[in-house]
Amino acid sequence: MSRINEFYNFGYSALSIVEMEVRKIRHDSTELWTRGVQPALWLLLFGEVFNRVRDLSIPGYDYIQFLTPGVLAQSVLFIAIFYGITLVWERDVGLLTKLLSTPSPRSSIVVGKALAAGVRGVFQSLMVFTLAVFMGVNLRHNLLNVAGVFVVIILLAMCFSSFSMCLASMLKTREKMMGIGQMITMPLFFGSNAIYPITLMPPWLQSLSKLNPLTYVVDALRALLLTGDYSTIPEDIAFLSLITLVLVILASFSISRLLE
Amino acid sequence: MKAIEVNNLSKLYPPNIRAVDDITFSIDLGEIFGLLGPNGAGKTTTLKAITTLGKPSSGTIKAFDIDIIESPQKARQMFGYVPQAVSADGDLTGYENLLIFAKLFYVNKNEREKRINNALKYMGLSDRSQDLVKHYSGGMMRRLEIAQALVNRPKVLFLDEPSIGLDPSSKRQVWEYIKKLNEEFGMTIVITTHDMLEADELCHRIAIMNSGKIAVIDTPHLLKKSIGGDIVSLSLQESGLKLSIPDELGLLIGNDDDRVLISTDNAEIAIPQIIRHFENNGSVVRSVTVNKLTLDDVFMKYARSSLQSQGTIKDNRSVRRSFARRGR
Ligand SMILES: Nc1ncnc2c1ncn2[C@@H]1O[C@H](COP(=O)(O)OP(=O)(O)O)[C@@H](O)[C@H]1O
Ligand SMILES: [Mg+2]
Repeated sequence: MSRINEFYNFGYSALSIVEMEVRKIRHDSTELWTRGVQPALWLLLFGEVFNRVRDLSIPGYDYIQFLTPGVLAQSVLFIAIFYGITLVWERDVGLLTKLLSTPSPRSSIVVGKALAAGVRGVFQSLMVFTLAVFMGVNLRHNLLNVAGVFVVIILLAMCFSSFSMCLASMLKTREKMMGIGQMITMPLFFGSNAIYPITLMPPWLQSLSKLNPLTYVVDALRALLLTGDYSTIPEDIAFLSLITLVLVILASFSISRLLE
Repeated sequence: MKAIEVNNLSKLYPPNIRAVDDITFSIDLGEIFGLLGPNGAGKTTTLKAITTLGKPSSGTIKAFDIDIIESPQKARQMFGYVPQAVSADGDLTGYENLLIFAKLFYVNKNEREKRINNALKYMGLSDRSQDLVKHYSGGMMRRLEIAQALVNRPKVLFLDEPSIGLDPSSKRQVWEYIKKLNEEFGMTIVITTHDMLEADELCHRIAIMNSGKIAVIDTPHLLKKSIGGDIVSLSLQESGLKLSIPDELGLLIGNDDDRVLISTDNAEIAIPQIIRHFENNGSVVRSVTVNKLTLDDVFMKYARSSLQSQGTIKDNRSVRRSFARRGR
């Protein structure tokens, strides 16, 4: 009984943190909209130009079709990887101290924050979908596929925002977070299948990209939005969930270091 | 039972900073207790240890006989905490700030609205509850933060430097609210401050802290009394060498020609009586100057002596003499 209670409280706290984020977005959503600019530029400029290069895609699809899931994943990665900066800011203004002074377990606050990053990711997906529709990019978007995309995107956001929260607990300043964030997004992005197929990579990079969570995200997104071949999805989701779980646990333990 | 009991608490920060150095004290139920000390004294560190936000390096802390290090969640359920930095979320409304915290404190759903509205009303924020907090003034934010802590109906409320950065009138206002909370609900309140006036105004008991140690704990009144009291200096029409005063009015500590120095517990009350006494004995008082002791004097005294020895000063006479010298 008390186990169930604890479980319920955990979820309740995490959702309250999500609610906090959603309420903030409701008061001021400019940041969400400006986040739409980057994927739009990728699709409109990069996508249109490279659309002429046939070999870059997978057989049977335009490059821009191939690119859209990759750009979606990349833009959510950007949101998530810098999410820890919010945490540092909240620490600096005393908000985090106060969140952690409540009886809500620390891990529930970390999970709540990670889910909140997921909410931003979902909004980002909606923007990219809309953009794709306007650009006439042919994607499979029936309800079930879209729901699947949301699940994958939420996992992606949770995975990298937890990672970012771990970083925040170690780096503790916004400047360092910006620097490190920028330093790791590039290799994560180019070391994945986001803008070109893995088969084009040299062998050493291929094996590295198999350890890159972003590769699994993009793989699942392409299956859902393009090919409809779901055979690798269980593996993708399992890998992502595992990494996310580990990172959430690490972040839960390290978050109190931010107060020291 | 004590509200809070701290025993031999120490906190070391790497590499080798002794922020808190083996302190022991307890806080009674229903009192306003103050940790008074300059920046870097270790006040925040102590408060964080009690509120389970920072792990002590050694020592034990109990809240209502519950070991807070063993059961941090239970402890947090009983506490309200307002950190030193302004911690309300500017991107939410006042109401929303309270709502989220009510949820994180697991306040019963049926009671939530009522408690939120009561807390807002109590802190005088009802009419601004739907405004974004970033448009609040500093004083309103502080009041909102206290309101936020109140939705939990805490048994102990911790306020880290409650009036830091506020203008004098908001400061007064925040003080009034703190006193009201204590008087109306008997809430135990713990504050830290570097402001002598604030400690004097609010606290029933004060612990004077310096370099991670507590030099002395007492009521503001007894602290001031322990180092000699206020000094009243009278100038008389003619020589006052032969004069004496009864003990209940104070202690005659200096007497040269037409000037008389008297040390007394409370100058405001003593002055009219002293003047009456002199005039009844045929001396005309030309002018009076008062050197009121502040906690500042107390702090100077204890903080300095605490660096050399932990013992309290017993020899009031020598202290009084040193103040008599200051009085000139
Ligand atoms: N996170 C920290 N790391 C290292 N030293 C710290 C840290 N926090 C506080 N200190 C040091 O501990 C001492 C006490 O700090 P603090 O408790 O904040 O004092 P106060 O609140 O009385 O101003 C200071 O010397 C301060 O520099
Ligand atoms: Mg402090």
